[in-house]
Amino acid sequence: MKNLISSTLIFSALIFASCSSDDDQPIVQNTVEAPATYKFLRGTESTVNFDGQTTRILMAGEIANSFMDFDNATEASLLAMFNHQAGNADFGDADLNASDKNLRSKIAASYDYFFTNTSETAEIRADFETYISSQINEVFPNRMVVATPGVAGQVADGSRTRYVGAKGLEYNQAFAKSLLGALMTDQMLNNYLSAAVLDEGDNRQNNDNGVTEENKSYTTMEHKWDEAYGYLYGTSANPENPNLTIGEDDKFLNEYVGRVNEDSDFSTIAAEIFDAFKLGRAAIVAKNYEVRDEQIAIIREKISEVIAVRGIYYLQAGKNKIIDGDREGAFHALSEAYGFVYSLRFTRKSDNNTPLFTKTEVDALLEMLRDSSDNGFWDITPETLDAVSEAMAAKFDFTVAQAESL
Amino acid sequence: MKFLKLSLFFAILAVAITACSSDSDGPEETVDTFDRSAMLANWADNIVIPAYSSFNSKVVEMEAATMAFNETPTVENLQSLRSVWQDAYISFQNVSMFEIGKAEELRFRNRLNVYPTNAAQIEDFIATGNYDFALPSTIDKQGFPAFDYMLNGLAETDAEIVTFYTSNPNAEGYKNYLIDLSQTISSLTNEVLTSWTGGYRDTFVANSSSSASGAVDKLTNDYIFYFEKALRAGKIGIPAGVFSNGTLPQNVEAFYKKDISKELLLEAINASVDFFNGKSFNGNTTGPGFKAYLDYLNTIKNGENLSALINSQFTISKNKANELNSNFVQQIENDNSKMLATYDELQRIVILLKVDMVQALDVSIDYVDADGD
Repeated sequence: MKNLISSTLIFSALIFASCSSDDDQPIVQNTVEAPATYKFLRGTESTVNFDGQTTRILMAGEIANSFMDFDNATEASLLAMFNHQAGNADFGDADLNASDKNLRSKIAASYDYFFTNTSETAEIRADFETYISSQINEVFPNRMVVATPGVAGQVADGSRTRYVGAKGLEYNQAFAKSLLGALMTDQMLNNYLSAAVLDEGDNRQNNDNGVTEENKSYTTMEHKWDEAYGYLYGTSANPENPNLTIGEDDKFLNEYVGRVNEDSDFSTIAAEIFDAFKLGRAAIVAKNYEVRDEQIAIIREKISEVIAVRGIYYLQAGKNKIIDGDREGAFHALSEAYGFVYSLRFTRKSDNNTPLFTKTEVDALLEMLRDSSDNGFWDITPETLDAVSEAMAAKFDFTVAQAESL
Repeated sequence: MKFLKLSLFFAILAVAITACSSDSDGPEETVDTFDRSAMLANWADNIVIPAYSSFNSKVVEMEAATMAFNETPTVENLQSLRSVWQDAYISFQNVSMFEIGKAEELRFRNRLNVYPTNAAQIEDFIATGNYDFALPSTIDKQGFPAFDYMLNGLAETDAEIVTFYTSNPNAEGYKNYLIDLSQTISSLTNEVLTSWTGGYRDTFVANSSSSASGAVDKLTNDYIFYFEKALRAGKIGIPAGVFSNGTLPQNVEAFYKKDISKELLLEAINASVDFFNGKSFNGNTTGPGFKAYLDYLNTIKNGENLSALINSQFTISKNKANELNSNFVQQIENDNSKMLATYDELQRIVILLKVDMVQALDVSIDYVDADGD
């Protein structure tokens, strides 16, 4: 079907082309050639750098694991990891301890969405801190309790044990999957790929003239682009050719671009995202900002799609388990879904500056998941899960059925 | 979605064929009028309930032998308890696939047979006396594999094992753990059996609709899930290293007893074959089951009857399994390729069941592989 649409487009493009051949409009040529891999040099020196993103992905991985460290984690230790200060021994990895980066300061911190919206930023950061305190104060004390409606504790998920809050939500899942929206996606789509950031100040002029940052090999614009790239590929085994291991390199955006790409309905999405990053970066080198901006639109559309597809996938997986009589077994999928729905807030329309989902819309969906009944996942209905799924799919050109099946 | 595209293709094909063949009489409507209730009744009355009854009697014996051993912990009593445990473990292979109804609710298979068992935490539980087998996180500290550790894994010789229950400073702790293991197995088994005999049988047989929630669809899924995950992967694939870097001999079933892994596997294959053929648990008569249903639907694959194809693949697998050492740890260490060869044959059955059979029966698979976190 997609092929049909694109061939129709190509066909109509040909018609238009032949109709307009007489007038003297200059035809914008796509003169930017994408390299085979994400490798860019100035002289012999690489101009690609995204250390800060790699650091934050690694920090996110450590804190997500610590949510389940019943013997050692405390509210203070998790909050310290979350809001790390350089030199503090918050992590197992010495490099992370030495770093002056942290997670908290980049959550809901994009230029486009939050520059003049700090009250929502504060609200979102508080949500993450609440996941932490709930895990420590609600779930940890009930480590050796069988969870029941309204009571935190263990549930069986096949041969695995999951640890849930009173409403059936796994806070570690909610934290990790909300983070891939509030940190990785928000920084990528709404900050580093924002025109306001890429073209800030003299960035264009400097890029046009090859003026690099002090003591660096890259222009500011090149670097901003790479920072967007790093939030997806920052821990890739081969960062120049990251799709070789897409899905295997972190537990956040990289993992789920990989998972969605395994769905036969979305089997080109990883390639499309990488190609757009690669071509967009080459366009910056070629000073072709039109081609750059076309790639931004593609990345925004596809990353947003990944979040929605995977969210619906988990909602439907949970629904099917509930229908099958295994309600507790559904909690894990529903907890992941909860985080993906939360992350919708940070997705983005490709063609303009507005979110795909407003805060009000996302809050309404989260409330349906959390509060449509007294005990949350313990008595949520398949109808509610379908309603949330449909509301999500309605913003895209795929169906719930396509997202649900692999 | 693939399915959708495929059906669209067939729909178009069908239209095309119809258009071309509009003059002929057209193919006869095939309506599935197979007596599903009779099949469910055969399953319940001649296979499931007799298998649980038989298993339950072994479990009752095991509890009695545990009490006798606890009262008089001697090498002789250890050996007789071990022998009863072994019988019960073998008998369990005949019910493990029926994870439906009460068994599903209790997570019966996971409560009775998760391995490898966690010996370090068992020791911790014994030392503190603080444990609750109802907790999902304790599934690898209970059931037959934990029993295996308590009877075969505490020391090298029987005389030494017995000292854990006699002269050990915490002998009471070991005894308590053993009897708790035994009583938990027995009360869970009793609960499942009495659910079947106390009304669930009728619910099961009456639920004959052809839908995802119908008993045929559900038990078909349970059967295939069991065969794929518990039998093929659990007994052979995982220890043989199919899913890991390197082999995992410590993950064989009955790791501490060691020389019965093959017997447990063969019993499980036989039980799967018998269930496929609708063969009564007691005796040799067969009734309606997958085989009869497939034969009724006259499913043909590669010019051969699908049920014959499946049965012949079962035989091939059994023959491969028969070549294995009775001790899988030795087999893995000496010649793992035989384990892998057995795995391959079992995998061929999975494909026949999970693709061909369910297509013929119009059942959809209701489980997906977890994504690993």
